[in-house]
Amino acid sequence: MSRTRPVAPVNERRGPQPGDPGFSSATTGINPRITAGIRYSLDTTVPGAWHLRVIRSQIPCGRVTGFDTSLLDDDVAFITPDDLDGLAGFGCQIADQVVLTREPKFVGDPIALVVAPTQRDARIAASLVEVSYEEGVPVYGELEALAAASPLVHARHFTSDSDSAYFDMRPQDGTNVCHRFRIRTPSLQGRDEPPVVASLDDDDEALADLFEGAEVVIDEVFYTPAAAHVPMEPHATTAQWVGDRLEVVTGTQTPFNMRQDLATIFGLATDDVRVIVPPMGGAFGAKTFIRTEALTAAAARVVRRPVRCVLDRDEVFNEVTRHPSTVRVKIGAKRDGTFVAKRLWCYVNTGAYADCGPGVAQKMGYAGVGPYRFENVAVDSYCIYTNLPPGGAFRGYGAMQSVWASERVVDMLADALGLDAVELRRQNLLRDGDVFCTGEVMHDTHFEELLDDAAAAVDWSSGTRAGKGVTIMLKGMQTPSKAEARIQLMPDGRYEVQSATADIGQGASEMLTRLAAESLKCELDQIVVISPDTDRVPYDTRTTSSRSTHMMSRALEEAARDLRSHGSIGHGFVSNDGGLDPDTGQGLASSHWHQGSASAQLEVDPDTGIIQLTTLYASSYAGKVVNPHGAQLQQEGSMILGLGTALFEELQFTGGQLTNPNLSDYNIASALDVAAISHRVMEIPGAEVHGLGETAVPPVPPAIGNAVASLGYDVRRLPMTPERILDSAVVVGQEGTTR
Amino acid sequence: MTWHTPATVAEALVLRAERPDAPVVAGGTFLGILVRQGLVEADEWISLQRVTELAKLDAAGDLSVGAMVRHRQLELDERVVSFWPGVSAAFRAVASPRVRNVATVGGVLADADYASDPPSMLVASRAMAEVANVRGSRRIPIDELIVGHYSTSLDEDELITRVVVPRPNGPATYRKLRTRSQEDRPSTSVAAVVDGSTVRVVVGAVSDKPYHFADVCSTWRPGVEENAREIGEEYASRIDYIDDNRGSAAYRRKVVAVEVRRALMAVVS
Repeated sequence: MSRTRPVAPVNERRGPQPGDPGFSSATTGINPRITAGIRYSLDTTVPGAWHLRVIRSQIPCGRVTGFDTSLLDDDVAFITPDDLDGLAGFGCQIADQVVLTREPKFVGDPIALVVAPTQRDARIAASLVEVSYEEGVPVYGELEALAAASPLVHARHFTSDSDSAYFDMRPQDGTNVCHRFRIRTPSLQGRDEPPVVASLDDDDEALADLFEGAEVVIDEVFYTPAAAHVPMEPHATTAQWVGDRLEVVTGTQTPFNMRQDLATIFGLATDDVRVIVPPMGGAFGAKTFIRTEALTAAAARVVRRPVRCVLDRDEVFNEVTRHPSTVRVKIGAKRDGTFVAKRLWCYVNTGAYADCGPGVAQKMGYAGVGPYRFENVAVDSYCIYTNLPPGGAFRGYGAMQSVWASERVVDMLADALGLDAVELRRQNLLRDGDVFCTGEVMHDTHFEELLDDAAAAVDWSSGTRAGKGVTIMLKGMQTPSKAEARIQLMPDGRYEVQSATADIGQGASEMLTRLAAESLKCELDQIVVISPDTDRVPYDTRTTSSRSTHMMSRALEEAARDLRSHGSIGHGFVSNDGGLDPDTGQGLASSHWHQGSASAQLEVDPDTGIIQLTTLYASSYAGKVVNPHGAQLQQEGSMILGLGTALFEELQFTGGQLTNPNLSDYNIASALDVAAISHRVMEIPGAEVHGLGETAVPPVPPAIGNAVASLGYDVRRLPMTPERILDSAVVVGQEGTTR
Repeated sequence: MTWHTPATVAEALVLRAERPDAPVVAGGTFLGILVRQGLVEADEWISLQRVTELAKLDAAGDLSVGAMVRHRQLELDERVVSFWPGVSAAFRAVASPRVRNVATVGGVLADADYASDPPSMLVASRAMAEVANVRGSRRIPIDELIVGHYSTSLDEDELITRVVVPRPNGPATYRKLRTRSQEDRPSTSVAAVVDGSTVRVVVGAVSDKPYHFADVCSTWRPGVEENAREIGEEYASRIDYIDDNRGSAAYRRKVVAVEVRRALMAVVS
C-alpha cells in the first residue's frame, strides 16, 4: 500500500517564517530542536568519562547497616558515605542533605554509587550490590506528619547559608515543620497563638474575631497530589576535576546557586567551581539546585577521571516532585458580596528534604489570598517533612495548589450568597492603589480586563451558567533577585551576549537575541548568545519564577546602553528588592505581579463521569511581548500542564514507593487532549516586559473545577478523574452532600 | 547480548525450539517498557523484524493478518476499514500513531496484557490465532489463547504466525473508555459484533482477560434500550474487576454496565 502526498515545488519550499507555527529560531527558519541542531546536557560527552549509577534506598526511612559487594568486578568503583567524609551538608534553603546518606529518608534516597567504564557495566554492577537495612517508622501524609505521635523525619532542624535562602526560616522545634510562613494583617499581629495548627477542623480561637463582620462564611478543604515535571530530557551531568578545580556540565536552571552550593559541599572557593549549562530539553522546575551534580562531582574526585550521570526515566520521576498539599480556605463576606476576611492554612508536603519547599510554602500562602481586597487576612503555611521524595520547584510554584482551593471557594461563596460568581470577583478585585495582604500597594493591575476576557470566552453573560467556570489569580515573582548581563563586541563585528539565563526550552536564547538586536539596532544574525558558563557570564539569581524575560531584558538593555557609550563592552545590572517577614507576611512579596485568568466550558457524562471540554481559555497579562510566537507557546504549555494537573496527573505511592514512575502509568496530556484550548497573551502598549512562563498554570484547574461543580459535582481532590467526579455528585434535594 | 534475526518462519521456529528462554521481539512497544523497568532480562533475543512473510495482510476471503502486521495498517487499510470496521476501530484506539506504527498484531496477543484494546474486538469477531512450532501448526480462538494476566495457552516453543478474522455478517461497534489522556490504555474496552440474529459482546481491560457471556447475549433484543440495560447490568455483575490507575473495581463495575448498554444500542443504529 502506498500513499502519496503533494510535494511543494522546490521554489515554494521554505522553513516556518516568523509568525508561523513551528517558527522558533531567531537566526534560521528551521527549528533546531527538530534537526538535532541543539546539543543538550545529555549530548555532552568527554572522552574517557566513566559512568555513574546511583544505589538508592529501597526503604522509606531507617539506616543502612551494610553493603555486600562481593559480586562486583575489580574495575568498578564502589563509593559509600565513608568515602565522602569531609563533604559539607547542603540544601538550597535548609542544609538538611548530605551527598550520600547512611540514614535514607525516602525510597530512592542515594546511599552509594557505582562508577564503571561503560554505562552498561555500571548498570549491571549496580544491580549486583546487596544492601541491608534497619527500618525506621515512616510517615507520608502532611497532616499525619503533624500529629503529636508522628515520627520526626529529621532529628533536628537546620538552616542554610546559600543565596537561595532569601528569608529567615521558622522551623518548629519538636515537629516536622521545617518552615512556617504566616501572614497577619496589622490588627491580627502579636497575639498568643499555637505554633502549629495541626487539625483541619481547628476552631482558630486566637483569631476568632477575624470573621466578626462577615455574614456568610465558607470553610472548605482541597487537596493536590504529588506530580511529575516530565522533562523530555532527563537530568544529565558530566563532572571533571581540573587540578583542584571542579568543572560541571549540567542541565540546571540555577547555575550560580549550583556554583555556590558545590563550592560549599567540596570546601572550595566559588571561583574554583565552573558550571556550564547547555540548553535543556525541558525542566519545569525539575532542574533547580543540587540534583545529580554533587554525586557526579564526588564520584569524579574518587575515580580521578571525568564522570557522567544520566538518570533513567523512573529516577527522573523520583528525583523531585510537585508538593502534595492540603489547603483549608475560610472566606467571609457581607450579604452584598463585599469580602471581609480570609483565613488560609496550607499544609505543604516537602518530602524527605526541604529543597525550596519553604519558598513554595510562602508563595502558596500569599497566592491563595488571591487578587482581592480584604479587611483582614491570616495565613499559616507549613512546609512539612515526610518520607516521600522531595518536593521542589514546579511550574506554578505553590500558587497552583492554593489557587485550586481559593478559586473554588469563591464560587461556593457566590452560590451561598446567590450572587453571580464573576460579578462577585469583580466587586472585590484589587485595583491600582489597593493594599494587598502583605501591605504592599498594588500597581499595574489588569485583573478586571483579564476577568472580563475569560468570562467572554465562555459567553458567561448570556445563556446558561451550567458547565462554565471562571477564575482569576495573581502569582508573585522571585523577590529579591539580581540579574546581570554583558555584551561584548567580537573581532568579526558581531556581538556576544553573556547571560546566565538558561534555555530550558522556553526560548531564552531567542529572547536574548531579539532584545539585544533591538537594543543595539542590528540584525538578528549579528547577535551570538552563549550558553551560561559561570566562568564567562555575570551573575543572575536563577532561571525560575517567570523572572528571566522581565529581569534579564532590562539588564540587557542597560548593557547595550553601556556598550554604546563605552565602545566594545557593556555591562548591565538590575535588581528587585523586597521580601516578606516570615511571621507577619508583611513587606513586598513581588516587584511585579503575574496576573492571569482562565475559563472553561464543558459537559460531564453523568453515567461515566467523563468530562468533555468545549472551551478551555486563559488570559495572561504580558506587558510588552518580546517574541509573540514564543509567548503563545509559553501560554499554551502552561495551559496544557494545567489541564494535565486538573484531569490526569498524580504520582502514586505504596509504602513510600512510587508505583507509576513511567509514561504509561503516569499520563500527561496528549495532542488529542488539547483541542479545546485557546488563549490570549494580553499586551499593553508602552508597558514593561512581564514574565509569562507560568501564569496560565494555576487558574486552569479551578476553572475546570468550577465548571464541573456548576453541574453538581463537588470534587475536592486533583486530578478530577471521572471516578472522583461520580463520587462527588451532590445529591439534589438532600441536606449536605455525598462524597 | 545476542540478537537472533531469522528471515523465515521456519528459522524462527527452530530458534524458538532451541532457545525457549529467549524473548521474541515483534514491535517491542510493550517489551521495551518491561526491559526498561527491569522486569524482563535476557542474554538472547529473537527478533522477527526480518521475517517478511509475517508482515502480510490478505483480505480476499477471511481477513488474514500476519503476526508482524502493524496496528496502523489495520487502522488505515481500506479493505479492513470497509469490511471489518470494528477491527479497524479497535486498533485505531490504541495509544498514539507513534506506537501504532510499530506495535504488531502478534505482539498484542502474545503479551496478553489485560489493558489492551484489540483483544475484546478480536474475541467478539470470532478471530483465531494461528500458532506454529517445529512440529506443526494449530488454530486457537482468541478467548482460548488469552487465559489470564500476561498469560497465554501457547506452548513454550510456539509462535503466533497470523490472526484470521472471519468476514462479518453484521455491524460492529468498539467502545473505549479513557479516564485520562486520549493516549491512555482503556479503562474499559467493549466490543459488540452482530452475528446473524445474535450479538457477541466482549468486555476487556477490566479483568484478567476478555469476557464474553453467550447466555446473556442470547437474550438480546436489537434496539430495545431496557434490554440493553439488563444485559449491561448482567455483564457488570459477572466480572471480577481489578483496580488500577485507570479506575477502581467499583468504578469499572459501574461503567461496564453503561458501556455495554451503549455498545448494544450503537451497534444497531
